[in-house]
Amino acid sequence: MSVINFEFRNEVLKHNASLSYCYQCSTCSGGCPVALLTEGKYNPRKIIEEAILGLQDKLVNEQDPNPWLCSTCQKCVELCPQKVELTEIFTLIKNLCFEKEKYPEAFSAQAQAVLEHGIAIPYSKAIITRREKLGLPNINIAPIEEIQTLLKETNFEKHILKGENK
Amino acid sequence: MVYDLFLGCVIPARLPYLEASARKIFEKLDIELKDVDGFSCCPDPTGIELIDHKTWLALGARNLSLCNKNGGVISFCSGCVETLKGVNYYINKDLSVKKEVNKYLQKIGKVYEGKTKVKHFAEVLYENLEKVKEKVENPLEGFKVAVHYGCHYLRPSEIIEWDDPFEPVTVDAIVEALGAESVDYDLKMECCGNPLEKSDKDLSLLMIDNKLNAIQKSGANCVVVVCPACYQQFEFNQRELNKINNTNYNLPIFYLSEVVALAFGYKPEELGLNFHRIRPNALFESLGFNF
Repeated sequence: MSVINFEFRNEVLKHNASLSYCYQCSTCSGGCPVALLTEGKYNPRKIIEEAILGLQDKLVNEQDPNPWLCSTCQKCVELCPQKVELTEIFTLIKNLCFEKEKYPEAFSAQAQAVLEHGIAIPYSKAIITRREKLGLPNINIAPIEEIQTLLKETNFEKHILKGENK
Repeated sequence: MVYDLFLGCVIPARLPYLEASARKIFEKLDIELKDVDGFSCCPDPTGIELIDHKTWLALGARNLSLCNKNGGVISFCSGCVETLKGVNYYINKDLSVKKEVNKYLQKIGKVYEGKTKVKHFAEVLYENLEKVKEKVENPLEGFKVAVHYGCHYLRPSEIIEWDDPFEPVTVDAIVEALGAESVDYDLKMECCGNPLEKSDKDLSLLMIDNKLNAIQKSGANCVVVVCPACYQQFEFNQRELNKINNTNYNLPIFYLSEVVALAFGYKPEELGLNFHRIRPNALFESLGFNF
């Protein structure tokens, strides 16, 4: 059984008040390519409905519908007649899933790379050679200490390390 | 005109040949791109932003803080552009966000006021369309191009503020200025499915399969993209789909900068076209396109 979590609802509303404008017309789902291909298993209208109702368990723990199936194509936001900022709300929900360590593994690989190197794809020897052959300049990326200081400040490091030990 | 150049991660560290053509065409147009030391990941609007919005803001604002001396910053990647435009949008929309971001930046001795102008390289090409036409030495006759805009080049329109979110014209106009034909096709405005690779590979493949199928039916003989994520999705999955579904996809995928460079008279070997998984040689031969 789903239990209403008012605190969760208020947290979403506090971050994005446009949630309360939704009148459940389903224009978002009608334009969503993933809703079409999954025959409604993924359904942006339903995610918004569950957020309005404060069904944290359904959204974060059961992930029904699964917010990670959003392709981030941003069509729903453009189409919404009520100007609900759907993808911003989905980002917030996914951020909350991340805090509870409920996210696809591939995200953690990218996060680790940024934490260790400051960039998502470190330069391999082969790529450096290829760059030279193509006449491309050497790239001086961010000093890693600076990036790690910043990531400590935003608590990113803590969340990633927590995910590592799960 | 001088812009700072934000390269990001995917193009310089995985697909450097796309960077080669992009640098060359700006040189030819006398638009200077300045390399800036010290950038991090943009970070990815389909990766880091989804797991931690404030980290995304902080890293993005740090990058922007490094480049406010020239005519703004340009990137060859739609994802980087969306992030950098998005960070500006959130910082300028809400003073408390700007304060929070600067509280983080203070720890590394940086400040960002939200003033750096951000552009996609295709925006700059479109703004200089007459100049682009003048530089065409080898018109792309016979190229029937399926233009794929991708999502983040256009949307959310409130953040991107460029072209129309559902009926865009800019990339078609650039392609046609090169002497190629832009071919209309079903699903032209659909997502390539690349971001879903992280959460559902089958769904991601289904999305690109549908697009490739529609393009094949349209009679297009190549695809032009403006985003490295779309590029990888289109080019790297054709063989895999052929294996799984018995399809016969063999469509050359060009980055916009590559077709511009070919029309400007650069040779395939100067552009690293040999690094493409689907080699365009057969297309060039069938069209009698010489260098």
